[in-house]
Order: sequence, then C-alpha cells, then structure tokens
Amino acid sequence: MKKGVKLQTFVPFIAFAVIFLFFTVASKGKMVSSYNLKMLIDQSMVIIIVGCGALFVVAQGGIDLSVGVNLALSGVVGMWAATLTGLPFLLLPAALAVGAIVGLFNGVVVSKLKVPSFILTIAMLIGVRGMVHLIQTKIGAQYLPASLRILNEPYIKIPLFVAIVALMAFIFEFTRVGRFSQAMGENETVARYAGVPVARMRILAFVLSGLMAGAASIFSILTIGGTSQTMGSFTEMKVAMAIFLGGVLVTGGTSARIYKMLLGSFSITIIVNGLAIIGYPETQASESVQGVLLLLILLVAMAAASRDRRRGAPPCEEPSQTQEASSPPGR
Amino acid sequence: MSAADNILEIRGLCKSFGSTRANINIDFTLKRGEIKGLIGENGSGKSTLLSQIAGLYRSDAGEMTLNGKPYSPSSPLDANRAKIAMVMQELGVVEKLPVGINVYLGRLEQFSSRGAVNMKSLNGAVSRLFSEWNLPPMPPNAVVSGMMIEQRKIIELARALSVEPDILLLDEITQSLSLNNRNSLYALIRRLKDMGRSVIVITHDIDEMLAISDSITVLRDGEVVGDVKASEVTADEIRYMMVGRNISGDYYRADTAPDYAEEVVLTAEGLTVEGEIEDVSFQLHRGEILGFVGLSDSGIHSVGKAVFGLAKAGKGRVALGSGGEVKNTRDAIAGSMGYVPKDRDNEALMIHASIFHNATLPSLKEFRGPAGFLSPARLRKLSGDIVKKLSVKCTGIQQAMDALSGGNKQKVNLGRWLAKDLKVLVLDCPTRGVDVGVKGYIYELMKQAKAQGIAMILISDELTEALGMADRLIVMKDGRIVRTILRGEDFTERSIIEVMI
Amino acid sequence: MRSNSLTPSGRFSEKNILREKVLFAGLFVLAVAVILLVFNLLTHGNFLEWMNIKIILANMVYPTFMAWGMCFLLACGYSDMSWGAIVVLASFGTGVFGNLYGFGAALAAGVAIGTALVFLNFCIFAFTKIPSWIASLSLAMIYEAVAVFLYVGKSTGALVSAAMEKELRIFGLLPWSLIVLAAAFIIIYYVYNRTIIGFNVRAIGGNAAVARALGVNATSTLLWIGLICGLLIGAASFLQESYSGITTVKTGLSSIFLIFQPLAIALLADILQKKINIIIAVPVCAFLLYAAFNLLTLLHVPSGTLQEALLCLFIIIFAILGQRGAKGVVK
Repeated sequence: MKKGVKLQTFVPFIAFAVIFLFFTVASKGKMVSSYNLKMLIDQSMVIIIVGCGALFVVAQGGIDLSVGVNLALSGVVGMWAATLTGLPFLLLPAALAVGAIVGLFNGVVVSKLKVPSFILTIAMLIGVRGMVHLIQTKIGAQYLPASLRILNEPYIKIPLFVAIVALMAFIFEFTRVGRFSQAMGENETVARYAGVPVARMRILAFVLSGLMAGAASIFSILTIGGTSQTMGSFTEMKVAMAIFLGGVLVTGGTSARIYKMLLGSFSITIIVNGLAIIGYPETQASESVQGVLLLLILLVAMAAASRDRRRGAPPCEEPSQTQEASSPPGR
Repeated sequence: MSAADNILEIRGLCKSFGSTRANINIDFTLKRGEIKGLIGENGSGKSTLLSQIAGLYRSDAGEMTLNGKPYSPSSPLDANRAKIAMVMQELGVVEKLPVGINVYLGRLEQFSSRGAVNMKSLNGAVSRLFSEWNLPPMPPNAVVSGMMIEQRKIIELARALSVEPDILLLDEITQSLSLNNRNSLYALIRRLKDMGRSVIVITHDIDEMLAISDSITVLRDGEVVGDVKASEVTADEIRYMMVGRNISGDYYRADTAPDYAEEVVLTAEGLTVEGEIEDVSFQLHRGEILGFVGLSDSGIHSVGKAVFGLAKAGKGRVALGSGGEVKNTRDAIAGSMGYVPKDRDNEALMIHASIFHNATLPSLKEFRGPAGFLSPARLRKLSGDIVKKLSVKCTGIQQAMDALSGGNKQKVNLGRWLAKDLKVLVLDCPTRGVDVGVKGYIYELMKQAKAQGIAMILISDELTEALGMADRLIVMKDGRIVRTILRGEDFTERSIIEVMI
Repeated sequence: MRSNSLTPSGRFSEKNILREKVLFAGLFVLAVAVILLVFNLLTHGNFLEWMNIKIILANMVYPTFMAWGMCFLLACGYSDMSWGAIVVLASFGTGVFGNLYGFGAALAAGVAIGTALVFLNFCIFAFTKIPSWIASLSLAMIYEAVAVFLYVGKSTGALVSAAMEKELRIFGLLPWSLIVLAAAFIIIYYVYNRTIIGFNVRAIGGNAAVARALGVNATSTLLWIGLICGLLIGAASFLQESYSGITTVKTGLSSIFLIFQPLAIALLADILQKKINIIIAVPVCAFLLYAAFNLLTLLHVPSGTLQEALLCLFIIIFAILGQRGAKGVVK
C-alpha cells in the first residue's frame, strides 16, 4: 500500500523527466536552446494560469471544458472595451470580469440547476465560440495597444505570472477553499455532513476557473500581440491533459495538487513544442500523440486507483448491507 | 422427522462484509410446505441470509443442501433455475419498461425467437400469471413509471411467482401493501403451502408473522438465537429473543441516576420532516446523554439529521443555548455541534483519502490564520494528536482510510469531533460495525466527554447500549415521540420495548 | 386483452392508456402545426414553401441517425464525444472507396468504418472503466489526427476534402433519403421495442442494479449497444457523404461540433419520452430543431455565430429540463 502511494507521487516527475530527455535528445539539443526555452515558458504560461483555476473544478470531480472559449471571449471583449473607450488598461479588468461572469454562469447552472458540468461546458464550447466569432467579425482584427506592450517585458510579465500562480497555489493548498474542494471530490455527502457549503464552493470553483481564463487571455494577447478567431482553441484539452498527465485522477479529490498541474503543464508544452521541433507541426501528429497519451494516462491512473481500492477496502457488496440497516423509514 | 421432509438445509453459513460479520454460523432448516418466519432487529442478518439463499451473495463458509443435493447458487438466475425466487426488500423494478417485460426480464428467451420478443405470448403469459395467483390485474404493456409502490411490489411478486418457485422468499413485502392486498397475499402463501411449497417471510410485524407462519427463526447480531413453533410462542417472547442481549462486561455507565446540569444547550421545537418525523420537541442539557430509540421506521435517525441542519426544509426549529438557530450545517458547526452519522463509509469518511484529510476536515475553520492560511504543520499536529490520543492503529497520518479496520475508522471519525471544543455531539449508532474492544473504548470516550460537559444525542439501534449510557431516553414510533423516560425511573428493556413496538 | 382493472386508481387500464396516448399525440401534432404556422407568419410565407420544407427534410436525415444512436447511448448513461471524428473518417471512406469501386463499396466502407470505430470505443469504455466522456475525447483526438494523416495533401500541406462522384450520391437526394430514414425507423423501432437486446439495453439504462440482479449481462449488453450505435453512425456517415458530397478534415476537436445538433435532438426526445416513444420522438424533434434553425437563417440570423450560441442555449435548456427531479450528486 505504502509503496503504491509513493509510486503514484513520483509518476508525474518520472513522466516529466522522460518526456524532457526524449525531446532533448530527439531534437539534438535544439529544444534546450535559450530561444526555445523562452518559447517553452511563454507557451506553458497560458496553460498553467488556466490550469490554476480549472484545478478547483477538477478537484471537486467536475470538469470545465469552457476555459478555452472563455479565454477567447474574455480577450475579445477586453480588447473591444479597450478600443471602444480608448483606455487600453481597461483590457485587464474587462477580461477578468468577462471570465468570472462566464464562470459564474457555469457554476450556477451546475450547482443549482443540476446540469452535469461536462455537458454544460461542452455546450458552452460551441455557444461561446459562436459569440467570439460574432464579436471578432464585428470589431475586426485587434492589436495590442502600444501602451500595454510594456507588460510583455519579461521583468513585468514573469513576476506577474509568478504572483498569480503563487496566489492560486496558496488558495488551493493552504486555505479551506482548496481543502473543501478536495473533500467534495472525495465524497460530496461527507463534505456536506462536515459543514462544507457545497453549492457555494462549486460556484466559487467555476468562478475561479473563469477568472483564470480571463487572466490567461491577457497573457495570450500579450504574447500573440492581438486577438484572433482561433484564440484559445484546444486550450481546454491541453489544460485537462496537463492536469491528468500530472497524475490527478478524473474523480478529483485529494489527488488534485498544484505541483501535479505544474509538472503536467510543462510536460504537455514540451510534447507539443518538441514534436514541432522534430518536424511534426501542431495540427498533425501532436493531436494523435496527445490523444494516445491521454488515454494511456487515464488507463494507468484508473489501474492504480483500483489497485489501491482492492487493498484493505471493503467489498463492493457492503452498500447493500448498509442499505438494509438504513432504509428510509415510513416507505 | 425424516430428512426427506426438509427441502432446504443450511449448516454453518457465514458471511462478512469487510469487518462486519453479517451471518455467523447459521444453521437453518426449511421443511416442504412450511411457512417460516425470519425475524430480528435491523442489521441482525435476515436479509443477508435470504440473499445468500437467493443467489445474490456468495457465502464465505458453510453449506446449503436443497432436496438433499448440495446447493450453491452463483446468481439469482441460478437460484431461479433451482426453483427458488425472492422478492427483495430494496430491489424494485425498472422504470420506463412495461409491466410484462419487468416480470420476465433476464428470462425473455422463452418468449423469443432469434432475439425478437413475441409480445403477444409474453403479455398472455403475464395476464395468466396475474389471474392464476389472483393478483390485482395490470395491463402487461403499461409502463411502470408513475406506478405506486404497492403496484411495483406486486410486479416483483409476480416476477418471483413466474419462476413457479418451490421456495418463495419474501423480504418485508407486506409493509408496502394495503390491507386487502395483504389478505390476498396471505391467501397466496397458504395456497403455496397447500401445494407443498415452502415460503420464508421477513416482516417487522410480529403479530402478522405469528398469524401466518408455522415456525419462526429469530436472528440477533448475525446469529440464530431461537427456532420456535409459531403456535407455542407469544409476541413478547419473540421480542425478548430479538432485542435482549447479554450485557457482558461493565463498559456502560455504573450510576443509576440521571446526572446533568440545568443549563439547556439545545432546544428542538416541533421538528417535522415530511414522511419521516413529526412534531418532535425536546431539550438537551449540558453534560447530558439523551438517547433515542425506536424501530426501523420510527424516524430516530432523521432526528439526528434534522438537529444538525441536514434535513430538507421542514417545519419546526432547533435553537442553541447560545441563542443561535440551526438552519443548516454551517450554523450547527458554528454553534459547536458535531455529528457522527450512521453510515460511516458513505456519510462520514472520505475513505480513499488519508487519515490526515479526514481528521482535519471539521476543524479547518478554527485553524485558519491570517488570509485564511491553514498551517500544514498545525494540521499535521492535530491529526497526529487524534491518532495518538485514541491510539488508532495505522502506519501514520498519511495512511489511506480504507486500509484501516472498522474500529480504527470509527476512532478517527469520533476523535476528529472530540478534538474540537464541542457543546453538542450527535451520535448516530456510534458503535455500529466495530469490535467489542473498540466498543468499550467508545463508551469510555462518551463518559469523558460527558464529564467535560458535552451534551450528546445518542441515537441507537441497540437498546442495551442506549439503556447503558443515556440519562434520558426518548422512545419514538412512526415518527413521533411516544415516551420520555429518565434514568433510574422505569429504565428497563421491558418497559421500553412495550412502547417501542 | 383485458380492459377491466382492479388496481386502486384504474389509471393504468389499457383503455385509459390508449386514450391518454391518442389525446397527447393529437395535442402534440396540433402544437407542431401551430409552431410551423407561426414560423410561416414570421417569414412572410417563405417558411412553408415546398422548397424550404425540402431543405429541412434533406438536412435532418443523417443527424437523425446520430440522434437515434445517442438515445441508446444516453439510455446506458455513457457519452461518446468522438462520433463527429468517426463520421469524418467514415465519410472519407465512403467517398474514397465509392469513387474507386462504385456504390456498393461506398456503402460498405462507410458502415464498416463507422461500426468498427464505435464498437472499439465501447470496448474501451466497457473494459478499461475510464469515464467515457474523457476516454472518448482522447479517442476523438486520435481519430481526427488519423483523418489528417490520411487526407492532408502531402505536397501542399493543405487540408483537402474527399468528394464523392455525383451518381453515387443517390441516397443524399430527397425521396430516397427519406425512404432510407423510414426504413431505418422501422428497424430501430423494432429493435428498441420488440427485442431482447432492446429491452436489456433499456433495463441496464433504467436500473442497472435490478437488471444485473435479474441476470442481464451488463458487459455484453454494452457491447451490443456499441454495435447498434456503430451501425447507426456508419449509416449516418454514408448518408452525410451522399448528402453533402464532400467531407473536410476537422482538427483541434472541432469534430465535436458535428454531434451538437444530434445531442440537442436526443436530449429533447429524452424529455418527451414520457409521452412519446423515444424512437418516434427523435425524427420529430430533428424536424423541429432543423425547422428552428432554418427559421433563424430565413430571419438572417448569422449562422456559425449567433446560431451556434442559440444551439448551446437549447442544449443547456434541454439538459436542465431533463435533469429536473434528478436526485443525487451532480458534478
């Protein structure tokens, strides 16, 4: 038992190391060139920031597949607001607000109207993208205002990024919000019985997820230099893969940790970037590699979890025994 | 009596679920044409026994002999082939499917050729079945969704009868039937008997059981404690066999008088939860252990949930001594209350998570520092202290909960509440599924908590436990309080069972 | 046949059931007629023109097949997000083999590829126990990438499409495609309502515990569902290629968009199934949904943007309605 747990903790590190070494060798060292390392960090930033928020939803056992389109919507609306008013800095609060509002909508529909998060957010995937198209065609191509370019300087961007991640890591690892989210993923009834405000926590998780998508949209605009129709597409899958590749179980719970998300994000960025360097651009091979990889990760995670469960766990028949004793009275 | 008269013989049957021993060395005999009653408290193992006969569970040990041949069914279908059918207490029917399909589900081949079901012959067979056994008729192609519990039960009964069983097992079926259908069920059972077939009946209604059965087997804590002829026994005698326990050791309280302060820490007024409890009012005092006892449908467990703010909005109010009102779980916890639910693995503990996570969950609020910071070191110390104080057997606080035994799980479950500065602790069957040693230890903890002035609500399925620990006992029946008894007053099993049943 | 009833309420006698059904069917037809008339008024008579109705009918055929498949899928509580990618691959097969070897090969290739891949998915769901939504997302990525590998112009690097010759596309044309739809309806209705497989599928979906306890083999039933869904998706692919004559490669999970309309149809049919047999409800709902989108187009609501947002809204509303009264934890 103890050995198994330890192994599971090391898996994300090992996976990261293997992937890193493989692509370093396969690219004949090109991957670790200083130019490419900068690229790697730039590319992983967006995934990590989105992941910081999405992790709360995953920890609760849900999923937020709308983060990619939310990122696009926040970016486009933020730029729109900035151009419309002529106040470039309005981009920041506008993008964050849009992201949080979409998250709030998701959270309320899931927790109050009981729509499974997967169905809801995948519907948002198409609906919000439609709105992005609409706005983008209306306002035309937008470029980063000159006054905001200073934000893209490493000495501002990197500390900003670190501050955001540190703040989210603090909330997830060292406050009740994170611990309650983990408890909800483990067993929502238990969480409720121990006084966790589950509906509020679920909404909060989606709001954080949306807020981080909004924050990521700013970083994305800074890197690309503007908005586009395809902004943020596929981000939701990259983030989901980063989280699961880091060793978080699909069921969430205490298996969800910030360090796993970070490692997974670097791993997935290296895969995409590495494949491109050794001659497979993003749309072609990398999607199938990612697909196969995701399936494998899930398989390993499921196998490990069920092995843990087999050891010392009560047999699956037990619930019917407890049912007999706790049958609702007065039926 | 020759062995040839016995259709079913069971020797030394055992069945455990994890650490809970549901059946221990059961010996059981069923004669041809006999109607056998099976009775016992909740969790005494009746349903488990029937489920093994019906092929739902495999036995851990022991053997069954059917018609003189070894019998060990691998599935309910297998049991059906051996002409044994069961109407289960909890199973039910499939919504959205027609009545006829529900009756023959899993056995549709007999009405089919190449996978296509001949609805006409199926519906004909179902109609014949209903009229042959005089069941209230239903159109075979009506969909089950929207039918009442009684109609569903009748479909389940028809399903069992369609097997043409030599042994029919009925698990608590009468309680969902109305009076006239109950009478037709009795007639049906007698008819089976006349045909030389056997029936095993589980029911909580002792008088009903005495009226319909030939002999009665009484189970207690998974063991057979008596096997008597129905004509030679009274309802009271059965009750004592069911509930009476040997009070071994001295782990209960030694004093015989109530002992608590005047100060009221919790008041419940007119608590009502639709279909579960009605107009329940009581006061809880500092340092008091208030026991709740009653039969399975008496609503005692719902009282615990309602007091802790877990019940869906009903009538009535729960007020704390400090002046606050409990409207939800957060209010309860803010008012220094704790709750140990009955279903430990599904309601109390995150069984796949570590001891650390489980032990600290209810205390997170108290441990938050500036900006909500939870110090991992302080939390580790807290869980370490709980493990040490209650001597939980584990490899460390990072060990997963599901690797612990039932007793150690319960220690963590209790310890995490006792580590807080509690005023009220609601305990729903705190000693369920733990071994005797831990049981005594839990009573010891309760005594300590009492001495510290913590008020406890002890909801218990074990009468002796409630008698042994409580200052006052509230007896409930059908969701209402029927009597409140003070320790030392009329504090005997006899007086309580009389009001309980 | 018995018509008398001794049940307490008498609500479930056959006569009453029949009367209720006829009444509801009448009301439903009336409601549909009113809706269509209102649509017609809104478009100043353009909506109910025979040309326009023909467009709607031709549009709805292959999504109806997918929606039927989705009914089986929803019945057993799974979700499969890779069907869009499978339809793309199978349509390619239809086009390529049809152009090479004629009509028979077109049909065979479409159905075979669709069936094989859907069945493969169900094997993965059944044996790995990975939650189907995430497993199917990774499979969708793999299938999309396979399509890209096979059909991207090697010299130009541009995405190409597989076109099918016109004379092979007879089942995409109107009287024939409706005849296929009618034939398929009869077969599926029969399978769903009159066969052991159909009943077992519904039993597993309705109450898995009861079904298993009564000896219904859950795994083999699941594989049967895979086979049925596979045939439906294969047929849908063939019809898709016949109808549009062209298939374009989808990347970055955009193939998921292909299943949104069928999903909306199936969710709506699921809500109606208390009153109407779901197999009948599907084509009706398909007609209504396509009529609604046709109306939007006639009203000059931009497609690809606002229409997608509305589709998202439909799915969310249907999902909320379908979840009403659902108990338990929703994540």
